[in-house]
Amino acid sequence: MRTNPLRAGTRNLLCFGIAALLFAAPLVYLFLQAFKTFTGFLQDPTGLPHPWTLENFGAAWTQGDFGRQMLNSLVYAVVPDTVTLILGVFLAFPVSRGYFRRSNAVYAFFVFSGFLPGGLIPLFIEAQALGLYNSMPGYLILTSLSGAGFFFFVGYIKGIPREIDEAAALDGCGYVRFIFTIIIPQMKPALATFAIFGFVHAWNNLILPLVMLSDQKLWPVTRGLYSFFGEHTQNWPLIAAGTFIVAAPILLLFVALQRHLVEGVAGGAAFGTQGVAVPAEPGEAR
Amino acid sequence: MAAGPFGTRRTRRLIPWASIAIPGIGWLLFGLYPSLATVGYSFTQYSGLPGTPLNVCGLCNYTAAFTSLSAQVWESLQVTLVYVVGVTVLQNVAGLGLALLLNRPGRSYTVYRALIFMPQIFSVAVVGAVFALILDPFTGPAATAWKALFGSTTAFLGDSSLALPLVMLVNIWMFAGYSMLIYIAGLRNIPKPVYEAAALDGAGRWRAFLHVTWPLLAPATTVNVFLTAMGALGEYALILVLTGGNFGTKTLGLYMFESAFGGNSQLGYGSMLAMLQFLLTLAIGGTLLFTLRRREIQL
Repeated sequence: MRTNPLRAGTRNLLCFGIAALLFAAPLVYLFLQAFKTFTGFLQDPTGLPHPWTLENFGAAWTQGDFGRQMLNSLVYAVVPDTVTLILGVFLAFPVSRGYFRRSNAVYAFFVFSGFLPGGLIPLFIEAQALGLYNSMPGYLILTSLSGAGFFFFVGYIKGIPREIDEAAALDGCGYVRFIFTIIIPQMKPALATFAIFGFVHAWNNLILPLVMLSDQKLWPVTRGLYSFFGEHTQNWPLIAAGTFIVAAPILLLFVALQRHLVEGVAGGAAFGTQGVAVPAEPGEAR
Repeated sequence: MAAGPFGTRRTRRLIPWASIAIPGIGWLLFGLYPSLATVGYSFTQYSGLPGTPLNVCGLCNYTAAFTSLSAQVWESLQVTLVYVVGVTVLQNVAGLGLALLLNRPGRSYTVYRALIFMPQIFSVAVVGAVFALILDPFTGPAATAWKALFGSTTAFLGDSSLALPLVMLVNIWMFAGYSMLIYIAGLRNIPKPVYEAAALDGAGRWRAFLHVTWPLLAPATTVNVFLTAMGALGEYALILVLTGGNFGTKTLGLYMFESAFGGNSQLGYGSMLAMLQFLLTLAIGGTLLFTLRRREIQL
């Protein structure tokens, strides 16, 4: 057996120190600032709040228009996430099964296209030409029709026995019904993982809203925070409160699904897939 | 088999095509076409503003990049290379170190791993605000610490010699947890008996790492190095939020974004920069895959 150079207690303490001081402390520090009054912050910028106040959260919420933006973010995250997953299955199923001629060529072409240049600029020109620029439906169309998750699904569907296709077809099951009632329930673990990462990715996206949405009413909350940050420079308690409002939903999601996400990657889910670097939005550079 | 079992004799061949039609057309329109069109637009001058013409000007953007604007392009190329190499090396060292430390059973380690993984789930807008606060030259804790250590003041993200290393550190802070998890997955794939054999042969802790862990970790290293390098190469949202590309942090990606969407609306010039970025990605990615794969076989 390996000899252990660190006693268990020392190692635990060291790991605690790294996790708490290097990785968690910056976020906790920001959170604490949100409870300071502006004068309290100026008097003691790095200390604990004195006096404590909750006013910044209310002020940030109204001044930053975060209520509306939260709702926008939710729409921009949930709609493309759902549509993409369903379309991804419809795309992946026949390719995975080889149900049309040259499906291998189609698959290879998809893989190859991932290495093409980033298309953000032409996408912007195209969105303007098609009337998809600066509109909520337009933004949703741009982000929903990318077929992301496709590669991931092709491999997964290969693991579902082909015989059930034929059995279902013999019993007169229609294609669409087959996908929704047989294939999609079989793919639950893959779909869940992808839905979570897709949601987080869409919620966090800053570049695409910066490029595609000029009207403030249409902004998602990340885009709003970016401007809020510029408008209130130096009023750190207010910015901290705004930042916390933007981060809170993702933080809650993470706390709830932490085990699934972290141990999923550690357990080897990352090998052979794109892991966290999941569905690149169309035209995004990475 | 060229048709699935679904549908009547007449529709059997059509159904698979219908199935891929909507996502396929969406992908052609918003995935493939923009990528390919970047090549075309890189030969034009175009502002994208309504009513302005699109001038096809051949290699004008490329000539500009190597003549009148070569200083800017050269600088951003250098910044990009420093960024990619620095982030890739340091993030992998950090990820491997963390993996060796934290690959332990027990509930407390599960919590630590989750905390280290956590930063990357937040938007760059959130991470940018966190570090702008901490690195604020007047009110941030980093300024206090700097003053205590060196007795002087600095502008941190507003300082040309510090901004790039700081942005790289934030990038590493954000994604070290991901590298850690891939290395942990690799460590868990190494069979225990190999270590026992090494111990029987009298290998100490360091030699066991050098001759057992490191070679057997090669697949994880390949995945990690490749993903980190490609991620760092494509990263510009984080840099945009932290420095806006000022103070020596303008990577090619950010230069592209700024040319096209930063007020000047030079969409043609920006497309040319996207092409340079693409060629750089191809060169670095290809070299990495080739050498890493060969290394896996040799080890």
